[in-house]
Amino acid sequence: MPGRARRRLPFSPWHLFLAPVAAIMLVPLVWMVILSLETKPEASSFPPVLLPSGPHFSNYPATWNAVPFGHFFINSILYSLATVAGNLVFCSLAAYAFARIRFFGSNVLFVVLLATLMVPFQVLLIPTFLIVKKLGMVDSVGGLIMPNLCSAFGIFMLRQFFRTLPIELEEAARIDGTSRLGILVKIVLPLSMPALATLAIIQFIWSWNDFLWPLIIIDTASHAPLQLGLSTLQGAHSTEWNLLMAGTVMSQIPMLAMFLFAQRWFIRSIAFTGIK
Amino acid sequence: MSVHAPTGRSVTYKRPGVLTRLARSEHVAGWAFVAPATILIAVFALIPIGWSLVLSLQANNLIAPAHYVGLANYRALAKDPQFRSAVVHTLLYTVVFVPISVFGALGLAVALNRRIRGIRFYRLAVFVPLVTSTVATGIIFLWLLDPTFGLVNYLLHAVGLPQQQFLQDPNQALWCIVAMTVWGWLGFDVIIYLAALQGIPAELLEAAEMDGASRLSAFRSIVVPLLGPATLFLVVWSTINALQLFDEIYVTTRGGPLGSTTVIVYYLYQQAFQFFNGGYGAAIAYVLFVAILIVTLVQLWIGRRRVYYSS
Amino acid sequence: MKPLTIILIAAALLVSGCGGSSNSSTSPGHGHVNIVVWEGYTETEAMAIKKLAAEFNASQPNITVSVQSYGNSDYALQKVLAAIAGGRPPDISYLYGSWAPNIATNPGVVSLNKLIAADPSFQWNDFWSVERQVATVNGKIVGVPALVDNLALVYNKKLFAQAGLSAPTPNWTWTDFENAAVKLTDPAHKQFGWAYVNDASEDTVWRFWAMLWQAGGAILTPDGKHAAFDSPAGVKALTLLQTLARRKSIYFDNGSGNYLGLFTSGHIGMLWTGPWDLSNITAAKMSYGVQILPADLNHQTISGPDNWVMFNNGSARTQAAWQFLKWLTSPAIDLKWAQMTGDLPIRASVSGLSGYRQFVKKYPGIGLWAKNLGNATQARPVLTVYPKISTAVGQAVQAVLLGKTAPQQALQQAAQQVNGMLAVPG
Repeated sequence: MPGRARRRLPFSPWHLFLAPVAAIMLVPLVWMVILSLETKPEASSFPPVLLPSGPHFSNYPATWNAVPFGHFFINSILYSLATVAGNLVFCSLAAYAFARIRFFGSNVLFVVLLATLMVPFQVLLIPTFLIVKKLGMVDSVGGLIMPNLCSAFGIFMLRQFFRTLPIELEEAARIDGTSRLGILVKIVLPLSMPALATLAIIQFIWSWNDFLWPLIIIDTASHAPLQLGLSTLQGAHSTEWNLLMAGTVMSQIPMLAMFLFAQRWFIRSIAFTGIK
Repeated sequence: MSVHAPTGRSVTYKRPGVLTRLARSEHVAGWAFVAPATILIAVFALIPIGWSLVLSLQANNLIAPAHYVGLANYRALAKDPQFRSAVVHTLLYTVVFVPISVFGALGLAVALNRRIRGIRFYRLAVFVPLVTSTVATGIIFLWLLDPTFGLVNYLLHAVGLPQQQFLQDPNQALWCIVAMTVWGWLGFDVIIYLAALQGIPAELLEAAEMDGASRLSAFRSIVVPLLGPATLFLVVWSTINALQLFDEIYVTTRGGPLGSTTVIVYYLYQQAFQFFNGGYGAAIAYVLFVAILIVTLVQLWIGRRRVYYSS
Repeated sequence: MKPLTIILIAAALLVSGCGGSSNSSTSPGHGHVNIVVWEGYTETEAMAIKKLAAEFNASQPNITVSVQSYGNSDYALQKVLAAIAGGRPPDISYLYGSWAPNIATNPGVVSLNKLIAADPSFQWNDFWSVERQVATVNGKIVGVPALVDNLALVYNKKLFAQAGLSAPTPNWTWTDFENAAVKLTDPAHKQFGWAYVNDASEDTVWRFWAMLWQAGGAILTPDGKHAAFDSPAGVKALTLLQTLARRKSIYFDNGSGNYLGLFTSGHIGMLWTGPWDLSNITAAKMSYGVQILPADLNHQTISGPDNWVMFNNGSARTQAAWQFLKWLTSPAIDLKWAQMTGDLPIRASVSGLSGYRQFVKKYPGIGLWAKNLGNATQARPVLTVYPKISTAVGQAVQAVLLGKTAPQQALQQAAQQVNGMLAVPG
């Protein structure tokens, strides 16, 4: 490449910026892991004990036994996967329509849907509970899932992404007689992998970390998802910090693993064949 | 009627019947596509929002049978000095938080879009705060910013700077919350930008460089406009979120010290769940809702005129 | 489309298959009743309630008690309100005493007056007076005491010895306390004489109330219509706080409870706290002592009782719930609870039972808290507006501790606000 400056450092200068940023961002994870390997008095200390007396890995199986961790895990997986699937499907359909189809009332409808993001959940938790109760889903994973199957957030985000795609491919397919749905599935979605992966990850995190709605809707411990379940380790006056941290670290691993895995879906350059 | 498709084939259309035309029409298609989402959102979001409108017209402590009071809650709100200061705090917070997080994320995303060694680790690191629950974030920051035993004051002391009170200082607490929420949300904005950057063909960037344009001006004149849709989305979304700030306040300052971090939703929570004024809390939510709606519409309108969509 | 179809079908199956388990009601025809108890216990208390519920279930065939945890008691209110609004409250719920006046406005709350009157063996007067006050709203008894506590002085014996101070005695005055706090303050070693929760919440306020009462003051006038805390007694109490804050003798806890870790690691000399911190203090294996609070005019302390509240889900379930609560709060079972958890006995007669000595031995220091219940003579006003009063006074105390306002001014401002609140009827 012409004109590239000669490097004076043995590594890319970007490291000088990224390394400190990464360090700051990683502080909580490091802190949580340290606390999760301490004894309860150590973990409850203030200022925090940062050099534990010999790593107590036993905290991890202890947490698994202290609370029905397996149940929490499964409930969270069901909750998160279902809401991800629901959002991917329903938001794609709607976002495509808002991005590409001119239909009567679309602008008003878009704003109305967007407006549902503008009211804080504290005010909505009681009526939502009443509706889910009417559907007979109190204290069930289904009750967790239903209100979160589709969010205007996903619709808004995907609409923005779909609109950045060059329309020529879609127009060509239209003329070839492909149905709208076919265009969405065969052309638009494959080109939108980064956006879909992003939506999936974000929705997964939200469901995985959700606390307030599960608190309202779930009564039985075995139906609780992770954050709600782990909160039983946290009392008004006394918290089992070491177990809570072990549980929290365990609960974060799936999300981190998913992110590492999914990186290749949304950091992947897209070759635009077909447009010359 | 004949149409010549690009491939040169000639296609003849018979004029379709009314029903078929209707079925094929854009309007029906559009509504069919949005129907599932609309139904779900209507049931689980719009109905509750309607319910809370009714609640705002009542004197309702959410426990005893309620009675209607018309617009009394709204009138009281207009005269409420604590609500006014909650509004001020919320606006201050939003006006600082949104630009810092959106544009900080832009820079960070560009940096993370490289192919240098360890980039996947850096991306993961930026992602970690997003995954961390708010409760854990609150606990960590309370420790970091503790005036006597916290890490930040320790570092300040080490470089000879004066100790700060941070979350215990009414003048500093809100800015500490800004820092905490930027830290927590940066990863979110970054992955949106990263996804959007994938859509910018490398050829465009290369073409600009070959013309002799410097990297920075190529960035400004090519990349930034092409990221317009993502930026609009992030600005709108961050604003909607910032105006509804609650969780981070709840796990750290609880609206203090001296009410300096009481934002609108926290005030709502106090009214509804500490003072048992559910109707008043709903009225607060509605006023906030209308405000957010107006702000969002303005942002979208500006975006319509200034954001470039490649179609 | 295939993967999407599969996901859709799976989601549909999930949603339909995971039908909710309904809040169980009486099973047909056998006279067997299932009741649901909601609680927010952790650790030893959580284990204790499960154990006792199992014992109760085994002891008689007609009632089955299921205990459900609603996580942290702080969040309980939103869950309970949702359940009430949805018409599915539990049969019994553990609720903070401070919520009682508001919860009592719900028509579904079972009023216990008749049940108690019909059962002389229940001995309502055996419960501590402050518990009975907090469970009674406008003459209606809305809860059975679930927990009682009080504030006492806990001190670090080693730090006292190092500072050359003699241990606190039952005759300690505010002056003694102030001197000790100042002597125990050592900024060079990041050591504080005392800790105070300064988040403007009820935690901030109730310690101030204790001091107000010790100085002979009162929160409200006897008719409950005006604030009385802006009296000279109140100013005196708040001035003590101001003095100690100015001398940097107080570690301000922001509500996160970090004071406890600092106390056990030797950074704080004295705490005003309750038995809930005892298990962490003993686990830290430090040398500590417990004493009653220092006096100005008296040694009054403050207590924060919580209640088991019963909700009406039909007469069969109400009867069953009453049976369970009577059993749970009976002296013998309460002693068992105390032995398992270290909580104070909720009945005065428990101290006469044979196992009581072992209880006191098992939790060193608990004996003093139990005796200190005799000093908990007053309760906070049982009013629906109390949370607002608390917020106003909390702001005042916080402002003084942060050095922003003078005690007299802060209290007068708060009193003005409170008078406004009390002027609104109902």
